[in-house]
Amino acid sequence: MKMTKIYEGSHQWIMFGRDAGKPPKLIDTNQYAVRTANRCLLLEPGGVELFAPMMAAVLHIAPVEQITDLFASNPDPDVISSLGLWDQALTNAKLHAPAIWEEFLNHYSCDSIGYAPIADNGGTIKLDSVELQLIPAHYLYSSGNFHVYDPQAKILMSGDVGTALETPDAPVFVEKFEAHIEKMRFFHQRWMPSNQAKRAWIERVRNLDIDILAPQHGRMFKGDDVKRFLDWFDALQVGIAV
Amino acid sequence: MSNQTKSQFVAVASITSELTAVMVVAKEISLAAANAKAIAFRAGDKAKGFQPITDFINELAKETIELVTNINVSALLLYRVTVNEYRRTSAYNRFQLAAKLADTAVYTASMEVPVSNAKLRMDECQRQFKRDVALLLGQLETVMHHARAARVIAANSRIEASQAGEYLQNLQAVAESVDKAAHTIHDNVQRCRMALSVYHNT
Ligand SMILES: [Fe+2]
Repeated sequence: MKMTKIYEGSHQWIMFGRDAGKPPKLIDTNQYAVRTANRCLLLEPGGVELFAPMMAAVLHIAPVEQITDLFASNPDPDVISSLGLWDQALTNAKLHAPAIWEEFLNHYSCDSIGYAPIADNGGTIKLDSVELQLIPAHYLYSSGNFHVYDPQAKILMSGDVGTALETPDAPVFVEKFEAHIEKMRFFHQRWMPSNQAKRAWIERVRNLDIDILAPQHGRMFKGDDVKRFLDWFDALQVGIAV
Repeated sequence: MSNQTKSQFVAVASITSELTAVMVVAKEISLAAANAKAIAFRAGDKAKGFQPITDFINELAKETIELVTNINVSALLLYRVTVNEYRRTSAYNRFQLAAKLADTAVYTASMEVPVSNAKLRMDECQRQFKRDVALLLGQLETVMHHARAARVIAANSRIEASQAGEYLQNLQAVAESVDKAAHTIHDNVQRCRMALSVYHNT
């Protein structure tokens, strides 16, 4: 599992992905961790098959007992089907996930991890002295969906928004935005169902100061590419299957 | 999923289906008993020896139904234990793999506690599975005894039927159907026991 530090300040952000041992049938995913003095939050911890390499990678930044929080933007298998395994490894952890998915997510077998439901209008996650904002992103593409914004690090973890379908050895940042578009187009048009939801999200996100837009698949966007992405997405017609 | 786990799931599932068939047959016996009672009543003195037998058949059928209902509960518990064992074994293996992959990471040692806890939980589940299998085998044994008893009763019924004059054929048919049903139950339960015996004392 490749690890890339994307923020270093009073706390750290680490991106995990491009796992060389990943079975080829699985879509490649990015996982993220926010590490503070005594705690560690894993964002979109990933699928069952990814559990061992992900756990091993996290051991480079935090001991197991300090993994206190998990976040899932939605209940998809590539996001959180590893939940039943984390549940057996962590003794003192919470799962932050959309309130409307609670009973669905419980199908992944969760006994010891507590469910911290996120109400439709969002909320926050406090991690030592760091406060992360949970930004509503409903219908992008899941009907109950949140992104995580860190105002201090200026990072928006944008779940499936910004996804690109490409080879697992791709670089972690977008280098030429124009060349990247074709890798994103079909995914956004086919998976995202609602132009209305998309517009509401773009309005909300344009008000945030973002250095890095960090999606769950593909490459991260930094600097001016964040604005380029928002403009491109704004103009795109989605929900094309009907 | 390992082959051992797969066949464990198959064994537990096949018990449930065999038991469903046993339940149907046990209900048939209970119906045959009611039928026999009516005939014996009409036959009066001629079927005097048959009357207590019908009560006995009915009792046996009721007991079998009750037993199978309880066995179904045990089978469901066994299914849950099987699922748990699978989950815990899989967790243990993955925790070990994670510790191995982490290699010289700063916090690799922190995996020791989860690994040893997972091992304890997995071992406990395996013991639980064996205990539950033994319990279920005992319950199935009781049903087998009932089925054997029913066949003895069926044989007696035939003798009694032969003295029932014009009711002979009717009562013989009752004896026949009880015998057949008991045979089916015996076979089905035997198959359940075979499926489970692999996991007994291994
Ligand atoms: Fe995804």
